[in-house]
Amino acid sequence: MSNRHIGISFFMVAALFALVASCAELKSIRGLPESHPESLAVGQQVSCAECHDDQQSGTLKAFDSFSHTSAFVKNHRFYAASDDQLCSICHKSSFCTDCHTNKVEMKPSTKYGHRPDREMQHRGNYITMHKIEGKIDPASCYRCHGRSNNERCVACHK
Amino acid sequence: MKKVCCVLLSALSIVSTSAIALAADVSVETTTLLGIAQRDVSGASKENILPATQFFGLQADSLADGNLSLHIYGWGRTDMGDRSYSTDKNSGNLTYAYVQYAPDYANASVRAGRFFVREGIINEQLDGLNARTDLPAGLGLSVFGGATVHTAKLVGEGSDGKGDTLYGGRLNYRYRGMLEVGVSGVFESEAPELIAHPAANYRRIGADVWLAPLKTVDVIGHSSYNPETKKMAEHSYLLNYKPAREIVLTGEFNQHLEQSYLYAWTMFSGATLNPDYRSTSFGLSASYEINKALEVAADYKHYEREFGGANRFGGDMRVHYKDNTIRGGVGYHYLGADEGFSITPYTSASYHELRCYTMRDSKNYFTAIDLLGNFFEQKIYGKSSAWEANASVGYHITPGLALSGDLSYGRNPQFIEEVKTILRLTYNMNYPGIGGKK
Ligand code: HEC
Ligand code: HEC
Ligand code: HEC
Ligand code: HEC
Ligand code: HEC
Repeated sequence: MSNRHIGISFFMVAALFALVASCAELKSIRGLPESHPESLAVGQQVSCAECHDDQQSGTLKAFDSFSHTSAFVKNHRFYAASDDQLCSICHKSSFCTDCHTNKVEMKPSTKYGHRPDREMQHRGNYITMHKIEGKIDPASCYRCHGRSNNERCVACHK
Repeated sequence: MKKVCCVLLSALSIVSTSAIALAADVSVETTTLLGIAQRDVSGASKENILPATQFFGLQADSLADGNLSLHIYGWGRTDMGDRSYSTDKNSGNLTYAYVQYAPDYANASVRAGRFFVREGIINEQLDGLNARTDLPAGLGLSVFGGATVHTAKLVGEGSDGKGDTLYGGRLNYRYRGMLEVGVSGVFESEAPELIAHPAANYRRIGADVWLAPLKTVDVIGHSSYNPETKKMAEHSYLLNYKPAREIVLTGEFNQHLEQSYLYAWTMFSGATLNPDYRSTSFGLSASYEINKALEVAADYKHYEREFGGANRFGGDMRVHYKDNTIRGGVGYHYLGADEGFSITPYTSASYHELRCYTMRDSKNYFTAIDLLGNFFEQKIYGKSSAWEANASVGYHITPGLALSGDLSYGRNPQFIEEVKTILRLTYNMNYPGIGGKK
């Protein structure tokens, strides 16, 4: 069963790779650059519109949709779901895995104790507060602790 | 496993040094943290905790024909005092380690190793392969498969309840910058038999949409279906309205059929939840950038579950001036919740939350102060509040190397008193910022 799954996915990945490597038509589709050409300062709410007028090339969405307003940061999961490729021209994986990971022992707000301006989950005494928040919105916890990062939890939740 | 990770991390450091020697386009980031904490656990003696944690990241770009890159991140921890986290004095984890081949067209890429996939309703970590590409006519395709990355074992069980292999993918269609629709699915192999928890197969299919009919309006969201319960699992939608550049109004709606969505959350026996229970939430928010230096925001969210409802509302204000070298914020929120959300054996879950912070950066120094307080309407474990104050001071030794120290003091229902100190050394080879050379 398991081997079959691996077999299927290996086949799909190989087929797609062959397609990418051989299909001349794909080579004419323009892609995003490997990294954002301009380096941006940390600690600000990046407004894409400040530098990009809203013209879109190809299937690129309006730049301003991705301006990092406080609403964008709170709702970034919606954007990451279809534009992870765009995120990665500026963000290394490690930027995301500070908050999203399988196993870590430190709250991101501790790792970045010098950055109170960042929108990090679980500030303060979360061991107490989670007993309320976990009942209010368990689906939001499931996103990060459902199938990963539960070493701390199993100490109390049997 | 822990030893393996520590060895692995040291090995990685050596590999990275040689990679630099190979003069590819390499960047290294490390964070070293030494925690010093004393906590007074209710009913127990004082504990002295002294964990040293090392985070290590490496990225090597432009390898081989220029399209190949290597990405690694992980951490290790060792306790020099009382145990800080689990029963192990040493621990560690490889967060990701993959090679990526990405030619410069069609957003095509192939990844092999340990990595994260985020596609539509999918958000997974796996040890395997992933390939994606844009296709002609606005289409795009991504597929992945491999071994599940397991998490901590459930209490009294020999596993974490997850199957061993995982595969899935997403097909999407884009029309200009106006519309995107996608279908995605994720399938995990048979879940292992468990003793005290329900075994639950993890499988989900779903559809996502992005629609921007006008420059000022967009709607983004997704719905997913659980083929195991044969019911919908999630609906999650966001509406953005930007009537002017400085104003953002949002509305969101989320609904989960609890058993179907939390089905594979074996730690909470998701599969045995009542199949008809729903949790629903909707929210509104507004933010207004009054000028370059000042932004105000207000938000409201209503939650509804089988055993009650709750409302959260509040506001935030942020200031940033002198080229962001001075930043600050204050916020207040109130959660008013029905009795069903309270911690056993209490009857109220309502509380006020107050936060304020300020920070200052200069060429050589950076400082920050952060205060957070939660004030309960009914005492919890005899305490009417939980609060924490954190002060941080740092020094840039070079543009890429910084040493900082945090001191935090808190009082809360969990620990009578908590004092924590952290010494932090961060190194980032390509310091200048985000984007650019990353
Ligand atoms: C400080 C100015 C600045 C800001 C802010 C900025 N960019 Fe850019 N960006 C540039 C420059 C310069 C280029 C290279 C020239 C170009 O292609 O327009 C670029 C290029 C890009 C490209 C590649 C375009 C292409 O077709 O090759 C993308 C995509 C992009 N930026 C996205 C964003 C997004 C999304 C944001 C907001 C989160 C953003 N940028 C914010 C300056 C900026
Ligand atoms: C043009 C570059 C650029 C692009 C593209 C970009 N970001 Fe960012 N992002 C930034 C910068 C700069 C910051 C500020 C980081 C800091 O202050 O340390 C940031 C911060 C963030 C934060 C953290 C905010 C906080 O307060 O902790 C999140 C979350 C985030 N981005 C998500 C995304 C997602 C998701 C995408 C893709 C949809 C994305 N970003 C695309 C430049 C970018
Ligand atoms: C500062 C912490 C933080 C950072 C950094 C961060 N996220 Fe998130 N992310 C969150 C939180 C909190 C949620 C849950 C939000 C919710 O429940 O509404 C989330 C949710 C998500 C989800 C939805 C997961 C699911 O299963 O539904 C995705 C996908 C996601 N983030 C992607 C990213 C990407 C990509 C990046 C990096 C560009 C990133 N995040 C960086 C905190 C963060
Ligand atoms: C964006 C991902 C993310 C989301 C969403 C999230 N968490 Fe966490 N959580 C983390 C990380 C990372 C840690 C730090 C790891 C640790 O302490 O084990 C953590 C730690 C915790 C801790 C330990 C805190 C401490 O002081 O040691 C608790 C309790 C917790 N989370 C509960 C929850 C609950 C309840 C929810 C939902 C309301 C939730 N989390 C949502 C990522 C997340
Ligand atoms: C120190 C022990 C402890 C730790 C560690 C802990 N919890 Fe809890 N958790 C509790 C207690 C106690 C409650 C409240 C139970 C009650 O009131 O009925 C609770 C409640 C919850 C709830 C609400 C569920 C419900 O309906 O009762 C969720 C969800 C939750 N925790 C998730 C987590 C997650 C996720 C983690 C790990 C990141 C975690 N917890 C770590 C002790 C803990």
